[in-house]
Formats: sequence, C-alpha cells, structure tokens
Amino acid sequence: MEDPQADSSISFLPHLEAKIRQTHNLARLLTKYAEQLLEEYVQQQGDPFGMPGFSPPRLSLAGLSGPSPSHAGLPLSERLRLDAAALGALPALLDAVRRHQAELNPRSPRLQRSLEEAARQARALGAAVETVLAALGSAARGPGPEHSATTALSTANSAASIFSAKVLGLQVCGLYGEWVNRTEGDLSQLVHGGVA
Amino acid sequence: MDVYSGWKQPSWMVDSKRMRMTLNLPWLLSALTLLHLTIQAHSLKRGAAQDLKCTTKNMHVWDCTWSASAGVSPGTVKEVCIKDRLNSCHRLESTNIKIAALSPGDHEVTINYLNGFQNKFTLNEKDVSLIPDTPESLNLSADFSTSTLHLRWNDRGSAFPYPSNATWEIKVLQNPSMEPVKLVSFNTTLSGQDIVHHWNWTSDLPLQCAPHSVGIRWYIDHHRFSGYKVWSDWSLLKNISWTPNSETNVFPQDKVILAGSDITFCCVSQTKVLSGQIGRTFCPLIHLYGENVAIRIQNISVSENSGTNVVFTTEDNVYGTVVFAGYPPDVPQKLNCETHDFKEIICSWNPGRPTGLVGPRNTDYTLSESISGKSVAFKRFETLTNESYRLAFQMLPGQEIHNFTLTGRNPLGHAESAIFINITERVVPHVPVSLRVKDINSTVVALSWHLPGNFAKINLLCQVQICKASSEQEVRNATIKGAEGSSYLVAVDKLNPYTLYTFRVRCSTETFWKWSKWSNEKRHLTMEAIPSRGPDTWREWSSDGKNLIIYWKPLPINEANGKILSYNVSCSSNEETQSLSEILDPQHKAEIQLEKNDYIISVVAKNSAGSSPPSKIASMEIPNDDILVEQAVGMGKRIFLSWHPDPNMTCDYVIKWCNSSRSEPCLMDWIKVPSNSTETIIESDQFQPGVRYNFYLYGCTNQGYQLLRSIIGYIEELAPIVAPNFTVEDTSADSILVKWEDIPVEELRGFLRGYLFYFQKGERDTPKTRTFETGHSDIKLKNITDISQKTLRIADLQGKTSYHLVLRAYTHGGLGPEKSMFVVTKENSVGLIIAILIPVAVAVIVGVVTSILCYRKREWIKETFYPDIPNPENCKALQFQKSICEGSSALKTLEMNPCTPNNVEVLESRSIVPKIEDTEIISPVAERPGECSEADPENHVVVSYCPPIIEEEISNPAADEAGGTSQVVYIDVQSMYQPQAKPEEEQGIDPGVVAGYKPQMRLPINSAVEDTTAEDEADKTAGYRPQANVNTWNLVSPDSPRSTDSNSEIVSFGSPCSINSRQFLIPPKDEDSPKSNGGGWSFTNFFQNKPND
Repeated sequence: MEDPQADSSISFLPHLEAKIRQTHNLARLLTKYAEQLLEEYVQQQGDPFGMPGFSPPRLSLAGLSGPSPSHAGLPLSERLRLDAAALGALPALLDAVRRHQAELNPRSPRLQRSLEEAARQARALGAAVETVLAALGSAARGPGPEHSATTALSTANSAASIFSAKVLGLQVCGLYGEWVNRTEGDLSQLVHGGVA
Repeated sequence: MDVYSGWKQPSWMVDSKRMRMTLNLPWLLSALTLLHLTIQAHSLKRGAAQDLKCTTKNMHVWDCTWSASAGVSPGTVKEVCIKDRLNSCHRLESTNIKIAALSPGDHEVTINYLNGFQNKFTLNEKDVSLIPDTPESLNLSADFSTSTLHLRWNDRGSAFPYPSNATWEIKVLQNPSMEPVKLVSFNTTLSGQDIVHHWNWTSDLPLQCAPHSVGIRWYIDHHRFSGYKVWSDWSLLKNISWTPNSETNVFPQDKVILAGSDITFCCVSQTKVLSGQIGRTFCPLIHLYGENVAIRIQNISVSENSGTNVVFTTEDNVYGTVVFAGYPPDVPQKLNCETHDFKEIICSWNPGRPTGLVGPRNTDYTLSESISGKSVAFKRFETLTNESYRLAFQMLPGQEIHNFTLTGRNPLGHAESAIFINITERVVPHVPVSLRVKDINSTVVALSWHLPGNFAKINLLCQVQICKASSEQEVRNATIKGAEGSSYLVAVDKLNPYTLYTFRVRCSTETFWKWSKWSNEKRHLTMEAIPSRGPDTWREWSSDGKNLIIYWKPLPINEANGKILSYNVSCSSNEETQSLSEILDPQHKAEIQLEKNDYIISVVAKNSAGSSPPSKIASMEIPNDDILVEQAVGMGKRIFLSWHPDPNMTCDYVIKWCNSSRSEPCLMDWIKVPSNSTETIIESDQFQPGVRYNFYLYGCTNQGYQLLRSIIGYIEELAPIVAPNFTVEDTSADSILVKWEDIPVEELRGFLRGYLFYFQKGERDTPKTRTFETGHSDIKLKNITDISQKTLRIADLQGKTSYHLVLRAYTHGGLGPEKSMFVVTKENSVGLIIAILIPVAVAVIVGVVTSILCYRKREWIKETFYPDIPNPENCKALQFQKSICEGSSALKTLEMNPCTPNNVEVLESRSIVPKIEDTEIISPVAERPGECSEADPENHVVVSYCPPIIEEEISNPAADEAGGTSQVVYIDVQSMYQPQAKPEEEQGIDPGVVAGYKPQMRLPINSAVEDTTAEDEADKTAGYRPQANVNTWNLVSPDSPRSTDSNSEIVSFGSPCSINSRQFLIPPKDEDSPKSNGGGWSFTNFFQNKPND
C-alpha cells in the first residue's frame, strides 16, 4: 500500500471488500470481548484491582508495547502491520497469563476460558489482518514479536512475585483491548476507503 | 589483722548480673559501704594498698589488681606473698598479679613494697568474679524469605572445667533506633569441648525492611566456684542488611500466614511513600528507616483464592505484594476405607474446615499404610470444595488387616487421621451387571448377573427384589459362594404364572457392611398355566321362557394364568347334552334353546396351557313364595346388603342386580359371596344416583339357587324431577278439594317420603304470590307424609277469594319442583242475602218514619219551608251567601247578582275505572226535598254476584306472561261512572276544540301538572271567566261524610249561583286502591272479614 497503487484510491474487489468488512466486524466484536475480559480479570484479582485510582505503572514487555500516540499519524498500511504484529504477539502473552491464573485462581475456570479464547481470537484477528495486508500487496513482519514476548513474560512470571504477575496480567489484558480497539479503528478507515 | 571480707564491684559492672546475690540489696549496700570505709581508714593510717580485685576467665587463674596507696608508686612493689601456699611469694613490680586459683577459704595476701611498706589482704574465692571471655560469633546469616536470622558461635568449652552451665544472651538490634528488638537468653552446658551453637530467630518485620544487628554475651556457672558470676562483654555486632533490587520493594512477598494472626508489611523505597493499603483498606504508615515504611495488619482475615493484595503507593510508582491468609489442614473427618472388589481400597474422608488456600498452597494428602509401608498421595482436584475426597490404595495379596494414616499438609501445618480395618469386613460390592432372567416353569425363573471383583474367600449375601405390575414388592435374600470375576445364579420360585415381574439385584457380604447399588431392572413375563378355576357363571331364562341365557365373567388375571382364548359351554340333563364350543373371548354370554327342565350348565375357560375346571350351575331355581320387597339406600357408588344366615345354603350366595326400569330378563351384574357371609357391599361403576335398582339375593343349595330376598334400592336418592300433577276437584265458599296423581318411578329418583302443600291468598298477577317466601306468615303449609293419600281438602277459606295453591313431592334427596294453581272460592250466598235485605229494610223504615213525621208536622213544614208568602230573611240561601261574601274577599265574585242560570253540563270523569270483580248494582238514593241547594249525596247500593273465578296456573312465569294458561274469569261490573269513563286517548282531546259555551274555569282533579296545563289552555280561551280562586275549594269525595255536612266550609256547593258545582259529584281517583272501593261500599265486603282489604 505504500506503492502508488496503494496510495491512490483502492478499488476493492468484492471478495476483498467482504474480507475487510468481515475482519472489521471481528475486530469490533473482539473489542467488546476484550472489555469483558479485562473486567473479569480485575474482578478475580481482588482489591484494589479494578478500584478507581488504582493504576500500576506499566511493566516492560519485550516485543510488545501499547499503541504509541504517533500511531495515528502512520500510513494505514504501516498501522495495520503494527496491528498484525501486536496481535501476533498477544496470544503467547495471554496464554502465559492464563497459566498463571490457573495456578492462582484454580476455581475460576471461566476466567481461564476467557483468556484462552482471547488468545485464540487475537491470533485469528492477526491472521485476518495479515490476509488483508497480503491482499493489498503489503506483507506483515512475521512472527518475531510473539517469541520475544513469550520469553519475556515467562521470565517475568517465573521470577516475579505474584503481585507483579497480577499486574502483568492486567497489562496484557489491557494491551489486548488496546490493540484490538486500534485494529478496529484502522480497519474502519479501510472499510470506509480512507487509505492514508 | 587486716581482714577483707568484701569486694566492691567496679562501677562499669553495675549493670552486670551477680549470681550470688542472695542478700537483699539495702543490707548489701550498707555492708559494702561500711567495709569500704574501714579499709580506707587502715590504708590511710598505714599507707597500704587499696581495692584488691580478683577476677577469673576460666576459674583456673585469678587475675588480681589493686591500687597503690597514696605516696607509693606502682613500680615500688617488691613482692606479693600468699601465706599458706608453698613458694607463695611472687616478685613483681606492678599492682597486678595472676595467680593460680586458690582453694576455697580465706588466704592472707601480703604485698611488700620496696620502701618497706606492707599491705595485707584476706583473699577468698568468694571475692573472685568469674568473667568469661567475650564470645565471638562465627557467622550471622539471614533467610529473607522467611525473615529469619541464623547465628552460629563457639562456646569454647574446652577452656572451662566441665560440666559447667553457660547462660547466653543474644540481642537483636534494628535500625534506626538501635534499641534491642529482641533480647533472649538460654542455657547450655559446657562439656569440655568446643561446641558450635546455633540460634534462629524470625522477625516480625521482614528483614529487608531494615538492617539488623546481633550481639551475644554469656556467663558461666560452675558448681565448685563460689565467686561471682559476671556477664561477659557483648560481642561485636554482626550486621545483616538487604540489597534492594528494582523489582521487589514490598515485603514479605507471597507469604502464607495463619488467618487471624498479625503481620507487618514494609515497603523499601527511595521516594516518599504516600499510602499503604491491604485490599481496599488503607493503613497508617510506620516509618522505619529512610523512606522505608511499614503497615501492621492485625487479625488478618482469610484471603480470596488469588490472595490478599497489599499495595504501597509512592509518588511515582505502585508496589505491592500478595499474602495468603488461611488455616492449616483440619483433621480429616469421617475417614473410611472400604473395597468394592478386593483389588483396591477406596478411602474417603471429609477435609473438614476449609483452609482458604488453593493452588500450590492447597492441602496435599498422603495415605500411608503402616503394615505394608506403602503410601499414596492425593491428586489435587481444585473443583472439590467440601465434598468427600477419595483415594485408591492398591491391595496387596493376602493382606486383610490395614492400618491407614491420612496426613494433610499445607504451608501452615499438617493434620492426620488414622483407621485400622479388616478389609474383609469392609466390602461394598460393585453394582451387579448383566442381569438376565430365564424361565424354568410357570412359577420359577432363574436369575443371573455378573459381579466384578475377587470374592473367592467370602460369601456374598444378595437381595432379589421382585415387583409385580400391581406395584406389589417382595425382597428375597440369597447367600452365594463368592468367586472371582464370576457370574452368579439364583432360582426364584413361587411366582405367579403369566405375570409380568420386574427383577433387580444388589449384593453385600455375609459380614454385612453396606449394600451395593441396585442393578438395573429386568422385566420378565412368566409362562402360562391352566386357569385355576372356572369362570363365575349365572343364567337367566328369556322372557318367553324358551331360551336359557348363560352369563359368565372373565377370570381375573391371577386365576386365568394366561390369556383366555375361548370358552366351552355345555348344558346337560339326564336326557341330553348340548354344547357350545370355542366361544371366543371376550364374549361372555351364550344363549341356548332349552325346554324348561333341569339342566346343569358347565362353563370352561381355555388358555394356551389348557382348560380350567368346569364351573357349573343349575338351570332352574328353587321356588320361594315368601318373598318380601325391601328397600335399601347406598352411599357413593356402593350399597350395603345384609341377610340372616341360612344353614341350608351350603354353596354360596349370589346377589344379582338390574335397573328396575329395564325389561326382563334384566341382569346388570352379579357377585358371589361365600356361604358363611351375612353381608356384602355391592359396588359398581355402573351405579348412578337417582336410579332405582332391584337386587336379588339367591342362596345356593345342592339342588340349585333359591331366591331369598328382593330389594329395591338407590345408590343415592335425589329430589324428584317433576311435580305431582294435581287438580281441583271441588270448590266451595270456604274450602277447596285437591287431588293429585303419582309421580313415575323414573322421575321420582328416590323413595317418595311425602308431599308439601302450600296455599295462600293471592292472584296470578300479584307479585307476592309468584313465589312462596320462606316464613311468610300468610303461607299455610301442610306436610303430607302419608304417601298413599291422594286428595286434600283445604277448609276455613274465605269466600270469593283467590288462592294460590302449590304442591311438591319430596324424597330424602330433597324437594321436587312445585306445581301451582290459582283458585277463587265461591261467594257466600247468605251474606249476599243479608247485604240486600238490610239496606232495603232500613230504607223502608226511614221512609215510613219520615212520612209519619212529615204528615204530623205538615203544617209546620208548610209554614216553615213553603209559606204562601216567602220571607226573604228566612232564606238560608241568602244568609249563607252573605256570610260567605263577608268572610272572604276572594269570593266577592260570587255575590248575588242578577244572573242567568247556567246550563247543566255533564262532566267527563278523568278517573280510570279500576278492575272490579264484584257485580255491583248501584241505585241512587232519592233526593231529599227539604235539603235546599246542598250537594246531593250519592249512596251506592252494591249487590254483587260473582261466580267462582278459577285461575289455573302452573308455576311457569314465562308461560304466565305469554298468556298461554287457560283462564276463565267471570266478572260482572256495573259502575255509575263507567259510562262516563273515557279511554285515555280521548282524554287528550284539546278542550278548545269543543264548540259551544264552556265555563271558563276548570278544577284541578288529578295533579298539579294537569292544573298547569289546564290553566294554560284556559288562558287561551276567550270569553267570560269567573275570578274565583278555585284553589281555596276543597274537593271531597261524595262518599265522604263531610260532603253532607251543611255546616262545613264547603257550603259554596249550595250556592244557587254556582256555575260548576257539579264537579264535586265526580270523586277523585284513589290511586292506592286497585279496586273501585271509592265508588261505593259493597255489602259483601262489609259483611266479610278481609284484613287485606
């Protein structure tokens, strides 16, 4: 999409347009799921998680960070590539959080199921965005971030305290929501033909 | 001799412990002070040495020092000699000497100086202080995760005589205050060898929160050393401090503690900590060291699954930790071990109080068997909460006795429970499976099932549950030799043929512990057998007596023993035998043409297994002429019958019944009752209330059946559905004769118990006679309980009066509908005659007397009333008119003026003549010539004749209203007003339309409305109009006595100038009276007592 063809107005093929709309709908659906996941997560961690004013600082996650403020200023194709990369890294993080919660909250199978589904849905959405990118002639960056994020989180989980793991899980759930939401916004622009 | 008996403790040892300090402190202080003063006095006087002090570190060598006397330098000491010791003099040049320990007791010590001075001391072991060397700790380490300090040191026991007791004191200092946060002492024994000791201490405050320092000192107590025992110096402090890292700043981390305990959390921070909270509760901060703070949680409550969060907030970050507060494992409760198959032992228990800890902190259980030495661990199931836990233990061959110990552990502790069992007494077999049923014969089946497990060494006790379709249930026990993994077989007998059974099995052992669960059910239909008896049989001759109808009942399933396929019927006598074969079920009746002779009827039922024994009955009955018909009433669907025992009846009794309204042969059903019975209850769904049934009781003898009793009865009596049909046979002036007919049995619906007859005065259209109100005083009631009575005469009635008659039949089921009739009694002829004769006689008498008086006073009368020359002053008419005119200005228009007499006009009567049943003969009385200008009273002489008015009414209001009831009314009415009466439509004619002269005044007669209308209409009429106010005139009925009173106010009637006096001849309508009572008196009524009138 960075080539002249992409920068000009794109004439969507019907199946591509349908794919984009489908991916957008998926992202919109996952946005709601991500809100529910975050709500359920903080509910299971006990106070003061979820209380107003409780905002622990973000821990550093190698390979994945929240959408930067400059994200909106990037070209759409670049934004989608970042979205796909983040969505590719999230499943491993969500799985690590699920494993930790399985030990910490073994009697909350619903949270574990939600985390498991969130990982699967993030993977599906990331794959869908990559498909769209490929159809538009732009390739994604590959599976690099997932591996590095997994390693980072595994290390953090094993060495860090339970409180840190809780905060880390909170951060992962928050990142999941942010990236899904951002992806939904970027796909929305694509749906409406607003290619930068 | 200088005697030293005491030694003053150095000032720096004030806080040291004196172990021989047996006296109380004031006394000791006084003695020491006195001793010191004494020594000072001697020294000053002689220039002697002062303050000889001896200490020892190991009780082997004493180290004594003293201070030189004034004026003597320490270097001038020549020698020190101890008196009772060989080689007791030691040369030296200082005020310090080390000597070997002296034996107990006093020793004289002499110090010689170069200048010749000499000091003498008395030295005793009691004055020597044992001050061990300062201990040296070898190592101080810390376990930060548990906040525990570990201290190691050597007691150097080889340097001391042994055994000696060593008392140690350890202090822990915590920055920044450096005040001991812990001071602990304990004893050890010196064994002559160097021993390394350990001491652990767990801090309430996490060690990471502040630097900690540890010091140690000691003293020694030896039983043979009588001197002072003094603490050593404190060792050098050993320090422990934590090197902070960037990730963890809150301590303790992830700790598991007992719920209800107290705990301190600290936050190590380089920046200012703003708040500390546990959960959502903020706690006051305790400042520790630098920016480090702590919070103290007391009585912490049980945590959630994910733990309790403790969070410290700084200006730029949030730090936290998680604490898990819970309980140690409860003692496992209800520990029970049993086996299902002798292969493994299942132990189950209840964990008791929840620990509140999950995941890695949950309780781990271990089941150990002490005899075999084997143990198994419990695999954690997080979904389990309070239900029983189960653990399987593999059995060892040949081991029956087991001693199990179950131990539960979690980070807060452990608990255990034990059980000792003989496993052969704790057997709960598995559920029997593969249950099968096999027929042996019609009453025996073989039951087999499989029971997994090795029961070779024991006997099994099994139960077979047998259920019939009728929900009858039976359980039979069977003891079976056990086997390994085998099927088991038992025979179940005493079953019923052709019966559907449901079987199921469960097992235990002979040494009963518990039953297994029931196996699945198995349904089985047993084989058929021949019917156990013949069917119940009855017979009836047809109405023409030519055919014999044979009835039989289907056999009940428990006697049919199979599906009945057909019946065989045969009739045999001495001469012949007739048979009917293969009458297929479900036909249960056969008809055979027979002569009326004695036959024996035989009925046989057949199923696939064979034929039943024959059921026999004689065709003829034994006659019985002495039969009475009795009555019986049942209840619900049942009726109870009883009879006297009859020894002649040897077989049984038969009761048959039928609907009484059916034609012969009538047979609904029959039952057989054993011959020893005297009563029975007959119950049938066919019975209906209100239907009459005939019941016949037959007794059975060897010769046949004989009718014993005949009973008519109802299951339930109901009220009749029709009213008795009754008529009036005769009517007189004071009585009525009523006759009625029987009600048909089908409509009676019960045994007739009597009739209710009501009557009262009333006519058909009178509302109050429509229905008889309960308790009405006018209603007369006759209860006729003699049901054979069919007539009733009602006497003491009033003549020529309408009566309402009602007749109802009743049973125990209630009252039937009513039938009513209206009857008018005849008139009383004697009263009629009297009513005619008395007025005539009175009139004649009055006439005769009047004639006589007039004749005798004819001159006076002539002079008075008819003089030859009339005197106007004597004219009453003029006097009357004068008084009237004077008394009322409103009547001035009636003053005598020359006027032309008015025409006579006949007025129309506005009243509607009411219905008059009486026949009235009205005769106007002759005018009295002497009564000038007064209104003529009209006397009515009423002579009535009225034939009886008969009104027949069936209580059917609709029919009444429709006028469908035949009615004959004889009415002869004459009225003086009747010819003048006009229909209502004629009254509406506008008077203004009438031609010719009309008086311009009309009098109100009926209502004010009409007055207004009339006046309005009169206003429209032109011409002369008298101005009399007619409202001042009173209207009086002519039959009123006032109308004849000449002195009354209504004297204007007699005015010769009256223009409308005739109006008062018309009586007003009496709205309240339905009859023309105002029109005159009836002699009939006069002589009759009619309170209603």
